[in-house]
Amino acid sequence: MLKEDFVIQSNVRQILIRSNIDYSRITFGTVKGVVYLRGIFKSAFHHTDGSIESAADFTIKSLQSLEKKIKGIPGVIDIEFELTNWTKAGGQWIPKKKQEDG
Amino acid sequence: MDSEEKTRRRLRVRWPRLYRWMLAEIEREIEIHPGYADLQNQFGLFLMGGGELKKAENHFREALRLNPKYREAALHLGFLYVETERWKEAEKIFLLEVRRHPKDGFFRHALGILYLQTGRLKEAAAQIQKAIQVHSYYRDHYRKKGVWQGGMVHLNQETKGVLRRIHLNQHDAQFCNFVGLYLARKGKSKQAVQELRKAARLKPDEFIFHANLGTVYAYQGVYPKAIREFQKALKIDPSYGMGYANLSFVYGLMCRTREALRCMKKAVRMNPQYADLRYNLALLYSDRKRYEEAAFELKKALRINPGYLLARINLGVLYEDRGRWKEARREYRKILQITPKDEHIRRRLERIS
Repeated sequence: MLKEDFVIQSNVRQILIRSNIDYSRITFGTVKGVVYLRGIFKSAFHHTDGSIESAADFTIKSLQSLEKKIKGIPGVIDIEFELTNWTKAGGQWIPKKKQEDG
Repeated sequence: MDSEEKTRRRLRVRWPRLYRWMLAEIEREIEIHPGYADLQNQFGLFLMGGGELKKAENHFREALRLNPKYREAALHLGFLYVETERWKEAEKIFLLEVRRHPKDGFFRHALGILYLQTGRLKEAAAQIQKAIQVHSYYRDHYRKKGVWQGGMVHLNQETKGVLRRIHLNQHDAQFCNFVGLYLARKGKSKQAVQELRKAARLKPDEFIFHANLGTVYAYQGVYPKAIREFQKALKIDPSYGMGYANLSFVYGLMCRTREALRCMKKAVRMNPQYADLRYNLALLYSDRKRYEEAAFELKKALRINPGYLLARINLGVLYEDRGRWKEARREYRKILQITPKDEHIRRRLERIS
């Protein structure tokens, strides 16, 4: 059964609040089961050794985890990411150049 | 026993290690933002809770230097003076605040306590009476405590203790609330709930304690309790518009969209300039196939915030679904003007062009 957009939206909101993402930089919406996420993806904190590589790994894991959780909400058909600092190409998350990194 | 020791014993900081850690965290934040009066006040409150009254005083004073009209900081500094029996300084603060906020019963109450402690019974009774006049809460409260009987203020040793407890509770409750919020921010929601519940128990008439408790319960996924706390907050302060929005989101998580709609409508009525609430109300209308009302709310959201792309996407899709191609194209084109690389919207536009 198709879940209502508001129910999906409330669940996305809850996922973002519970995550380690700085959600103040992200706007999100739901249209007929498609979830849209826009803005700057930034972790609120890093569990890394401080190097650029491990910070990027951590952000990729956070993005994958977020994607998985949102796809797990009943009624979600698809997710459209339009992030200013990360993009998905060929199923892989890659940082966008000359933008604020995650 | 000196006053610092008395405060320490009264508050019995539950998690000394966590408490020290929180102090260090706030101190670090202050180093980054030395000009934030909020942080100075919060730090003062934490120090006061740990019994470090001298340091606390400096931070309250700094908060007031940064923002001379900061009510909470004035209140905390005044009570610190009461605690340390610096009556004249406390009186000066409370009198200034009473002049600033003539309808704030709590400063009248604070003055009443101060006069009572210093044996100025007549003045104490007058202030308590004024507190009752400006806020009905105090009439009920004093009546329950035996201070207000038959239209008169009754002061004796017993009621003196009762009144003193009210102001101690005020401070302790604020302390627990800050600790609770801090713990919640750090993801320690179970401990946060304990602190916030203590705050609400100490000062049951403070709506923000219930609101915070509701937020933490919602975070934990304990939705019935979250609803109860938001409702309590709204009962105390019916003008707390975001309370209705929070209730609506919790109902949404429980798939109770009828109640969610009712609450979101109230939230929008109370915060008409908040575009995000209108967006959520539009989703609720759209889910119920009330498309005209949904479009109305989305247009309103866009009038408030013309750069609200998600509202524009929803509006475009809504037009598209209703076969209003021209309007749908117009909305998609506007989105592409702002984000020309948006492939998803480009595909949508191509499909209906």
